[in-house]
Amino acid sequence: MLFKCKNCGGNTVYSPERGKMYCPHCESTDSEEKIGDNSLAQCVNCGAPLQLSEYTSSCRCEHCGTYLIFDERVSAPYEPRMILPFGVGKEMAVAQLEKEFSNRLFAPSDFMSAKSLEKMEGIYVPFWLYDYDVNYDFAGEGTRIRTWRSGDTEYTETSYFEVIRKMDADFERVPVDASYVMADGVMDLMEPYDYRALADFVPQYMSGFLSERYNQQAEELSGRAEGKVKEASESLMQGSLSGYTSMRTYHRNLNLQKKNDCYALMPVWQYVYRYRDQTYLYHVNGQTGKVVGTTPVSKAKVIAYGVSVFAIVTMICGMLVQAFEIL
Amino acid sequence: MKDYFRYFKWVYILFAAVAIFTAALYGGHWGLAKMADYQRTNESCATKERVFDYADVLSDKEENSLRELIAKREKQTGCDIVLVTLDEPLEEYARAIEPNVISSEFVRVYAERQWEEVGFGYDQPDGDGVILVDNWSREDDGRIHTWFCTTGRARDAYYTDDIDHLLDRVYRYVEDNPYRAYKTYINDFYHDMMGWRLCHLNVPGFVPVLIGFITCVIFIALNWSSKEGRKTTTATTYVAGRQPEFRVSGDRFLRKTVTKHKIQTSSGGGGGGHSHGGGGGHHGGGGHSR
Repeated sequence: MLFKCKNCGGNTVYSPERGKMYCPHCESTDSEEKIGDNSLAQCVNCGAPLQLSEYTSSCRCEHCGTYLIFDERVSAPYEPRMILPFGVGKEMAVAQLEKEFSNRLFAPSDFMSAKSLEKMEGIYVPFWLYDYDVNYDFAGEGTRIRTWRSGDTEYTETSYFEVIRKMDADFERVPVDASYVMADGVMDLMEPYDYRALADFVPQYMSGFLSERYNQQAEELSGRAEGKVKEASESLMQGSLSGYTSMRTYHRNLNLQKKNDCYALMPVWQYVYRYRDQTYLYHVNGQTGKVVGTTPVSKAKVIAYGVSVFAIVTMICGMLVQAFEIL
Repeated sequence: MKDYFRYFKWVYILFAAVAIFTAALYGGHWGLAKMADYQRTNESCATKERVFDYADVLSDKEENSLRELIAKREKQTGCDIVLVTLDEPLEEYARAIEPNVISSEFVRVYAERQWEEVGFGYDQPDGDGVILVDNWSREDDGRIHTWFCTTGRARDAYYTDDIDHLLDRVYRYVEDNPYRAYKTYINDFYHDMMGWRLCHLNVPGFVPVLIGFITCVIFIALNWSSKEGRKTTTATTYVAGRQPEFRVSGDRFLRKTVTKHKIQTSSGGGGGGHSHGGGGGHHGGGGHSR
């Protein structure tokens, strides 16, 4: 399917800035009209052949630039239950990148110039959101140590406590990306998303962006979600045991119960830079604007800044030593 | 380049401020030195010689250079500045004058006696000035001893720390380059007499370079952003209500033990090489040994 403007026939897209459908040709809003076609082989608009991966659920026709959404990949069993619409537009994402790069002192000055930018796309990444109930029982013996001096004698008082904790926690919507293309570590760093903006899925949100259907089933990825929940639970339990000098564990039992999972699409801006024959990938959270990605290091900058710091600090210290010698 | 100057703007401003401060100090110091022109009033001194290199550790050229420097510094400080190098045991000499003197102070006895016998002193015999006696011969204790003796205004100006500082700096060079060591003695004495002496730093020359290098390494490490991004989730990010519920949270006191031990205090200890004080009543000074 694709969305066409009722007024001018142009391709309407979802505008993060406006929060509604928008026609970039005649600038009208909410004027979309759904044109249905289930073809995966050719563009509904111009008929040009499409080259799709197994998981592509929306793409941009390379010939006419129209954004196409593939019905069979956004309807059961691949229909997302929820979608987090883009809240950060392209301009704002670029501004976030510029701000981040300006903090990276050794990034080459011309790195973010238009000539090094190879590709820039808004992508809806498939995620599974898991709900877990956690029961965590802990029993142990903790010690608190106090020392003081009296005359030439040092006293050490060790107090022993029986420590018992029974913790319940409901983990809601723990996200795990279901895309082979997106690196797990990068997607984990994109978190957190503000779930208050989650909406029931409608395909209009996808117009103007690329997307994939989930690459893996929820059961296949639940292990990653459990890992996240376990790590957080351990951290919470550990936090409740603070104040003790040492802790001997008698009993520790962490019980996870998966309650639910939900298929959702999350917004990510992806930028590809090509600099000195190397490809650099950046991701900007399409809702919060958080930037993830490494920048190349300019040797010239490292040398210039490093030598400057070395020379200036050495001279300042040398002058101060001389000044104090006079004083 | 624009980024570079914008980034280092405050660093360069700090650099300029320190440079101006140091230049002002040097300027003030130089001005004071120029204004100082003491007239010698001691006519009874037995010699005009100030450099007595009996140990022959200096070349003739170096001796002459030190003589010229001393002549200049004496006018600026109003003090006689004397240098003696020896290469002979002084036990017999010192014990004949002070039977109970310890080995590290044989040089003190020699310095004070020389000062008094020759009649050194800028204002009067046995008056304002300093003498450094460096005896290159090892005494029976196996050490080489050096004494810095102060008299008159110089004695008033020098405290124990100042003497230590001066002798530390002399000892920094004396084994490898006696000329540099003795030149340091003359110049440091001049600085001490002319300056305000708020503090004494005995900083080896490589220290500013080392600080600069370490700062540079830390600066590069801090700005070398190899990380992809910061983790911005916490343990409670996905917990309903943002906090877990503790159905049971008990901390029950069981028992207590108390142990005690005596604190060992150390006494006595270590190393030598420094001695202070003066035996001659109106002399001050201190010594080092190596």
